[in-house]
Amino acid sequence: MTPASWTSPIDDVGLVPFGKGFARGLDQRSLCTRGVQLETLAGLGLPVGAGLTIPVPNVPGFTSADRAKAAMNLLESISGRQISSTTETGGLILLRLSASAPVDAAGLPPDLVCLGLKRSVIPDGLGEGALTSLATSWWKTATFIAEYALEVPSDELGALDFDYPDPVARVEPFKELCAARGIAPFPEKRSQQVALGARAMIARWSSPRAARARKKQNLPADLPLALHLETIVVTEHDDEGYGFAVSRDMDSGAFAPNGMFHHGFRMVGERMVDGHPLDELPGGVEMLTGVLAELEGRLRSAVTVDFEYGPEGLALVGLEQLRRPNARVATSLAVDLAIRGITDESAAVGSTNPVHVVELLHPQPKLTGDEVPLVTGLGASPGAAVGRIALDSETAVELTEAGDKAILVMSETTPGDLPGMMAATGILTVNGGSASHAAVVARGMGRPAICGAGDLRIDRDARTISAGEHVLAEGDLISIDGSSGVAYVGELRIERPVPSPSLTTLLGWADDARRLGVRANADNAADASVAFDNGAEGIGLCRTEHMFLGDRLPFVRAVILSHDVDTEEKALAELAVAQREDFRELLREVGDRPVTVRLLDAPMHEFLPSSADELEDEKQGRMLEHLHEENPMLGVRGVRLALMHEGLYPAQVEGLFNAWVDVVHEDDVRPQLEVMVPLVSIPEELVMSLRLIRRVNQQVASRTGMVVPFKIGTMVETPRAAMMAGKLAQWAEFLSFGTNDLTQLTYGFSRDDVERRMLGTYLEKGLMTASPFAELDGDGVAGLMEYAAARAREVRPDIKLGICGEHGGDPASIAICERLGLDYVSASSTRIPVARLAAAHAVTGTDS
Amino acid sequence: MADVALTDEQRDAMVSMAVRGMARGEANAEQQALADAGLILIKGPMMMPTPAGTAYVAELLRLPDDAPERERIMATFHRFLPINRQLRDLCTAWQLRPDGSVNDHSDESYDADIRDRLDDIDDAVGPIIKRFAEDLPGIAVYRPRLTEALEKLDDGDDAWLASPLCDSYHTVWMHLHQELLLTIGMTRQEDEALEEQLVSGGGA
Repeated sequence: MTPASWTSPIDDVGLVPFGKGFARGLDQRSLCTRGVQLETLAGLGLPVGAGLTIPVPNVPGFTSADRAKAAMNLLESISGRQISSTTETGGLILLRLSASAPVDAAGLPPDLVCLGLKRSVIPDGLGEGALTSLATSWWKTATFIAEYALEVPSDELGALDFDYPDPVARVEPFKELCAARGIAPFPEKRSQQVALGARAMIARWSSPRAARARKKQNLPADLPLALHLETIVVTEHDDEGYGFAVSRDMDSGAFAPNGMFHHGFRMVGERMVDGHPLDELPGGVEMLTGVLAELEGRLRSAVTVDFEYGPEGLALVGLEQLRRPNARVATSLAVDLAIRGITDESAAVGSTNPVHVVELLHPQPKLTGDEVPLVTGLGASPGAAVGRIALDSETAVELTEAGDKAILVMSETTPGDLPGMMAATGILTVNGGSASHAAVVARGMGRPAICGAGDLRIDRDARTISAGEHVLAEGDLISIDGSSGVAYVGELRIERPVPSPSLTTLLGWADDARRLGVRANADNAADASVAFDNGAEGIGLCRTEHMFLGDRLPFVRAVILSHDVDTEEKALAELAVAQREDFRELLREVGDRPVTVRLLDAPMHEFLPSSADELEDEKQGRMLEHLHEENPMLGVRGVRLALMHEGLYPAQVEGLFNAWVDVVHEDDVRPQLEVMVPLVSIPEELVMSLRLIRRVNQQVASRTGMVVPFKIGTMVETPRAAMMAGKLAQWAEFLSFGTNDLTQLTYGFSRDDVERRMLGTYLEKGLMTASPFAELDGDGVAGLMEYAAARAREVRPDIKLGICGEHGGDPASIAICERLGLDYVSASSTRIPVARLAAAHAVTGTDS
Repeated sequence: MADVALTDEQRDAMVSMAVRGMARGEANAEQQALADAGLILIKGPMMMPTPAGTAYVAELLRLPDDAPERERIMATFHRFLPINRQLRDLCTAWQLRPDGSVNDHSDESYDADIRDRLDDIDDAVGPIIKRFAEDLPGIAVYRPRLTEALEKLDDGDDAWLASPLCDSYHTVWMHLHQELLLTIGMTRQEDEALEEQLVSGGGA
């Protein structure tokens, strides 16, 4: 339905009992959302409450008492209940009038409950609780009618509230106020109350407040209303009540009907969050489980139903589809629907948003079972944090100023604690709930928080906190999990969780659907292990830079700064031994999978001493001066450094090849080695590097008796390399697009400068729609890649093409890689699940 | 308090600082005087009350136990707390969706519903502020401040509902609440217990 059709004229269709609308050819335009919900429920053969919809065209006429009277007569006949009479269990039958629009809309008038009430009809036996609920509900309904239909000034109505705290004592002054200040007295007749209620709802729907709500939702200003009239029973009898049931557990996402119910009658439209759990309602769970499963299958969404129960059994009175399921619910539902055969695997993959996958893998404390829980409260602001205990705002500020991390621990917070809350990495309070000051402020600032940890004691004099047997001093480390609400003693590792069973199933289906390979960027065995757990097929980029830092730094420095051959050779030999250790551990984890090892790519200055203190002698000082670069990122870096110091790459591959021989012998695995030369822009740079590498390969073969199989390839990260891809492919068996550098050099952007200073303005002015470092530039950079891929394949049709920049984990960029026909993407180990799903979407054309 | 003599302007500035907890920017003349008197601390671009400053304001605002208007003020405060709970719940809903996920404000219908409910709260607090102001004229200032936050929210900046980093509706409301607590001399803990008692139907 288009927005225009919501407001187009429709014929007078009379009063429509719940469940009879579709049969009369009516649809959402006249029945509106609530009418359609009840039609849907009735259409499935489910018991629905008795009621009427006053369809859109009949609403204006319903403000006459005659029409209202006719509706009440019809309602009495279909419900078998006489309005204003007393039930067998002593309850009072009254009316509820509610409104809905042709689409889900905020700003609807509130339900008007307890219409039809006169003092004379209140039964003597009605309990105190029911009487209080009745008085409260009637007051809300009566003041709404008085304000919107009788035009009584709202502040004078509000003053009655103060002057007569007892709602029963307010009734007579209220009537006097209506008579004196309203356009008519408050009516005694039931039909007039209903008609005036309708008039008040229409007036509210025309008010500036409702108009603003429609505008905020981009809904038409003249969006119409339908009204719904039902009977209610005012009672507090245990056999009568109301409740709601949700189809899924919001924490796990699994199909697990749950909800709440209350004895008595529903006063307002909102669902009450506290009450009796559903499983205490005899027969409730069994019946609602079937109902919810049926509805999920039909509507293909998680659902909530509202119900009422009484001596006649259980009747459904409302239905809501979960419009924005969370990540756990969305993936679990998609998988369940496919398994039930309602949808299929491809639909499940297509309907899952990669952003949801990111959410499911949100960092959490890594629990090993050895951690020491300190105290449990309410998870008030999601996320995890580690820091030192700060017992007041000032201490939190001081710790942070000193470069440390603070967790602010207080009984409760006040606006005066804002500086400390801003400084802290997390907040833990003894009192307060999810709506407390601490919780609201923490969420507003994106800080994890636990509130209401009632077992925690704070001793501000001794500057300690205690819970159970634990006593910690201010300054001690603690960790908090703002999702689970648990605080721990000491520092916990924060990690991403492993995928849930539903997500694992879904990603398996995505693997069946995708064409692109998915590899990981991983520099060590630990990263590789996470990547393989997440489903990576191999390592697409192993950077070796970090292997040259720490205790290896002196070797590299000696190579670059040395002025005699012996020193350089000795340093290189030690480097080769160290590299062998590094690679052995990684290759063991890699097993028989492919692994692309990028030889040293870092700029030279990263290895040079930054101060005179680190220099060994004067000669080194002069050399350092000589080696100074104005723009190191575009200077002696990657293959350029290796060709100026010809021992570097041979030392690296010697370590790599020896490690391969080691793991073949020791672990019986044969990793598929791919050696990648970085920053090539002249094909001969690759040829020269290849010669050096082959020589080492032969040396290792003659020494060990094993020829280490390897493929040679290069990064394509300069525009010239892309233009020369045909030539490179004569030698390279694979090309890997390094799109971070390729983007910088294609645009002529210095990433840090541009992102810090310029990008915001460019996005604002519409010159760009996303950062080209986050989302691959589909026209320029991808154009170069397309050219390079075509040239390379002309020369070597089976050349393997991949991407190893950050773009490898971005869904929109992965779609471009699919279009370009690349063979694989390589993403950071934690983005692997996202890449697997996005690669499947790229095949089916699903917009990720 | 006896040994601190402040001008009316300095006193207003001190109350504002204590209620807000901090201020940013360059210190004005009043704030500098407060710093000289040891009532506030200036740390770079940030100012905050010292314990002495907080105690000064607590004593300044504190209504005597036997004040004749105390009973009326407490009666109105009992009306305020249930609305206060509604406001806090509404801010929670603004930040977190019912399933606990973060509200990213991309669901216009969800946000419009919360904004609509805020009108109920705003309608309810108006007469309450008016009642308070009959005995505590300084409280009246919160009515226009709340309205200003609402107007900014309706101008399209979502931060003006619950952000702690501006004078959002929630921030102003919390300042109002804090000033009331200082006035009646109630701790946060007592306040929360009373609120819970009132909203759970236990009376007071």
